[in-house]
This record gives sequence, C-alpha cells and structure tokens, in this order.
Amino acid sequence: MADINTIGAQFTEFYYKTFDAGRNQLGALYRPTSMLSFEGAQTLGDAAIVEKLTGLPLDGLVHKISTQDVQPLDGGLLITVTGQLLAGGETNAQFFTQTFHLKPDGGSYYVQNDIFRLVYGL
Amino acid sequence: MAETPTFKLVLVGDGGTGKTTFVKRHLTGEFEKKYIATLGVEVHPLSFTTNFGQIIFNTWDTAGQEKFGGLRDGYYINGQCGIIMFDLTSRITYKNVPNWHRDLVRVCENIPIVLCGNKVDIKERKVKPKAIDFHRKKSLQYYDISAKSNYNFEKPFLWLARKLAGHQDLEFVASPALAPAEVQVDAALMHQYNEELNNAAAMPLPEEDDDL
Repeated sequence: MADINTIGAQFTEFYYKTFDAGRNQLGALYRPTSMLSFEGAQTLGDAAIVEKLTGLPLDGLVHKISTQDVQPLDGGLLITVTGQLLAGGETNAQFFTQTFHLKPDGGSYYVQNDIFRLVYGL
Repeated sequence: MAETPTFKLVLVGDGGTGKTTFVKRHLTGEFEKKYIATLGVEVHPLSFTTNFGQIIFNTWDTAGQEKFGGLRDGYYINGQCGIIMFDLTSRITYKNVPNWHRDLVRVCENIPIVLCGNKVDIKERKVKPKAIDFHRKKSLQYYDISAKSNYNFEKPFLWLARKLAGHQDLEFVASPALAPAEVQVDAALMHQYNEELNNAAAMPLPEEDDDL
C-alpha cells in the first residue's frame, strides 16, 4: 500500500487540477455526508457542494501548492495545504489554506471534510 | 508645503463588473500602484488637480477575493469614501448592490458613496435607467460609466472630492492622463440615458425596496 504522503499528493494534484479545469467534475469526490466550509460559508452534501463550487465566478482560476502535510486519521487521511492562487483575469496572487479529511471507502477515499480560506494579514 | 489631502477610497462590487479596468485607466495611479500581498489589495493613488489644490484618492482594489465570498472588514476599515460598481449588462450585479452597500456602511458609517453602472458602451443594456433607484433610497450619487471608453471617468471622483472637501464649487482644473479609449460611446444614446435617469429621479420611489 502506498504511503500516506503519496496518496495525499495524488489526491491534491487531482483535486486542484479538476478544480481549475472543471469544478462540476468534483462531485465524485464527495458523499451526502460531506461538509464544506468555503470562506466561512458552510455546505452539506455532495450535490450542494458541487452547486456551491460551480456557482462561484472562478473560471480561469489557477492553484499553486506551496506546502502539504499529511497525517493518518481514523483509517483515512488529514491533509493541510497552503499555497497561492490567481483568480481569472487577475494579476495578483492570493494566499490560501485548505484542509481535507479523506475517509476510506471501498479501497478508495472520499472527502468527508473540506475547509478553505484565503489568508490575509488582517 | 502642506501635505496633499489623501483619502482611502474603497472600491467594491461583484467580480467581473470592471473595477480593476476602471481604476487602471488613471495612468499615474497605475504607475505608482502598490500590491500589498498580505492584504490581497492593490492600492492605486489617483491624483486630481482641483481649484483648491491637489487631492489623492488611495483607491483599494481587490485581487478578486470577492469571487470567493465576501470581503473581510480589514478591506473597509478606515475607508473615507466608496464606489460601488455594478455591470449594466448583468442584472444580478445590480441586485447585489444592496449587499455591498450594507457591508460597506457597516464598517464605514456616513462616508460619501458613489454608485457606478459600468459598461454603458455595450448596446445590450440590461439594467435600464428607470430601474436604478437604490442610490435614491440611500442618498448615494449615481453615474453611468464606461471604463473602456473613459466615459464619465472623472465624475465619481469629482462628486466625492466635493463631499470630502465640503466645497460644492470644487472643480477639476486639469485632466489626469488616462489610458486611450478602447471603445467609443454613442453620444446620442448617452444623452438619451441621461434624460431617462433625470426622468426617473423625478418619479416617487416605490414602496417595495427589495425588487429590482
């Protein structure tokens, strides 16, 4: 079995690639019990989460990961990412942090918890 | 020599309404702008020459964080004047104006605010002059603008400068260098819109305040 750092890296690479290219494809990663906190807005369930994410005017967004830390948690993974992103049409990068709790599900994983925040010095 | 009067201008409105395009028209401000990465804000010092001397609007423009949700209080704190922008070709951006106004005045009470409907150069105008009445309920000033053509670029700043200086006879005596117009507005159509805005201003306000 691959170590958790490898699984974590594979997950985040897939997640951000999908987020930047087609957020409507992210639904497969969530389940009806999944929770998303996105800049303070809370959403429950895969359908509502995809609706929330696709409803944001974020076409052309690009994520760049700076750091990634992974720990085992209840048979799954806890991942915290920091990085920068560039919103479509913008020239200035912003900092972000995102935490995922991946739970095992039939040999694979799904996102049980997802917390996203832009980071500012105020 | 006395220091040039300088005011923090908070620029808000939905993503894609043209806030960045608007603020970039002022060439010296664009040249002297500073990005503060820890705030996610680009500050453009927009300077104007008036019959009372120079005035500078330190105009705050986001790096697009409004596209992720709201703006933090730190963006608004110590704001001394504001511009709320919407897109005349997108009704939802006008519908969100009350939310931007609420957030702005929650932190900055009693500051002069101008409402700007951008992209008036685009023929498919969706938010008609008679539908724009939010500014009348909240004592804001309103202007149709077109960032890409420079149409009415100075108007919001002139109105704010008069309010901040407390001189209604303040005038701009020199034009700032602006980026060349990328599109032209139809003068006859602008005249017609102004007539419609004036007619709308003469009508009584409807009782309902949550309808577009």
